[in-house]
Amino acid sequence: MSSTKPTIKVRTKDVIAIHWFNAFFWLTLVLTGFGIISGDFVRLAPAFWPTFLQNLLGGNANLVLLHGIGGMVWAGVIGVYALLNFKRVVLPFLKNVLVLTPKAAIADVSSMVITLAHLFGLLKHQSVPPQGRYNGAQRLLGTMIIACSLAIAVTGMYLFLSPMLLDFAASAGVLGGVFRWALVIHLAAVLLVLLGLVAHIYFAVVEEPESLETMKSGEAEVAFIKHHNPLWYAELEREGKV
Amino acid sequence: MVAKYVMLADTTRCINCKACEVACRAEWDTPLGYSRDWVKEVEYVNAKGLPEVQLFPGRCQHCDDPPCVEVCPSGASWKREDGIVLVDHAICSGCELCVPACPYDARWLNPVTNTISKCTFCQPRIDKGLQPACVETCVGHALIFGDANDPNSAVSQLLKAKEWQKLVTDEVNIGPNHYYYTAGKAIPDAVMPKLNERHLSGTLMENIVNPLGTLGIGGMMAVFLGAGIKKLIDRRQDVSNKEGSHEQH
Repeated sequence: MSSTKPTIKVRTKDVIAIHWFNAFFWLTLVLTGFGIISGDFVRLAPAFWPTFLQNLLGGNANLVLLHGIGGMVWAGVIGVYALLNFKRVVLPFLKNVLVLTPKAAIADVSSMVITLAHLFGLLKHQSVPPQGRYNGAQRLLGTMIIACSLAIAVTGMYLFLSPMLLDFAASAGVLGGVFRWALVIHLAAVLLVLLGLVAHIYFAVVEEPESLETMKSGEAEVAFIKHHNPLWYAELEREGKV
Repeated sequence: MVAKYVMLADTTRCINCKACEVACRAEWDTPLGYSRDWVKEVEYVNAKGLPEVQLFPGRCQHCDDPPCVEVCPSGASWKREDGIVLVDHAICSGCELCVPACPYDARWLNPVTNTISKCTFCQPRIDKGLQPACVETCVGHALIFGDANDPNSAVSQLLKAKEWQKLVTDEVNIGPNHYYYTAGKAIPDAVMPKLNERHLSGTLMENIVNPLGTLGIGGMMAVFLGAGIKKLIDRRQDVSNKEGSHEQH
């Protein structure tokens, strides 16, 4: 960090590495995924994109293969990482992020709405409730990303592997039906995550570049934590870390 | 000029010998009970009160605007520049989204290959300069195939010489490239294309998931672009306010 303000270590190198690994694979898989579909019926990207990408990679078969293998590498690496670091990284992250009760969901939605309204100079007199390590929007996004990532990984595997391994014709339409529903879930989950990523990237780059810095160096400014995440600051104080 | 392949079927010359179906099955080794082409027999009572039979050889119509290509999620269904609609079996998943999309019922899931099968106008034969197997074997010369963009081709000459009809309705008009000559008789409804009920999953994706996703992502981008612009304006305002107060001091 170029700043001389007091900082504390809030992320380990492996967490930073898995975040950027996830980001890189998301970008690659979204770009290749949008390139696979040429028909208007299911296509989301402009028409030139599938043509460009398919020509670049020597045909759609190569693109499908790249997307499928990329997806399995993404799911595999994150899956293995999560298993190996379950107690140290995953469990604390889930405890901090998962929104499971309606009460928590309502509180997080309300804090997210106030935060968003503040961006446009609205609800000025309504202050954002004090936040822990993750704010309402981050918790909602985190829960959504975890659920959607699981759905994307499972449906993606089925979409890629089932035509090679299963006999659709012999199943009286059942396996094909599962394939078609898997496609709907896969696409819907990707779109949901993309929806959240727009906000995630905006806040990290424009509103709170300090949090982007923590995802590069692992260090966070103490003053920033105190101002943005007072509950987390109190927790750190109790633990004697600040 | 790029070729535009079309098929003509002179129903007055068809004798329902099924030679075309046999040749097609032999050419493509289709499983028992499945065929890429067919001959539909339509029986009716004519104006004089006498029974009549009309014969309609059919197959994929290689439409200008094929809905099977539009619905394909993997890009396996595609259309060549010369108008031939093909299936890339290497990437066809066999999901059957294209099957109900075809109003001519020309597609089916091949139980041997687990991919979608359909007439390709015998594309490998055409690329070698040969005629499709069904045309080659048609004993009544009812089927005529060729390049409609070549003014010297048999199909171009015949298209000019006779009154040909296409299997289109007010509901389904997707530019089929298969023409029928009936000597002025109306084409029976039984042969006309019909919109099939699509898979619920496909309808959901087309009408809900995709539009909502596109709108949602577009909306989010617009909101945060707006927030970014407002932030820039506020900063500019702040700077000028500070400069203003500085000058006053």
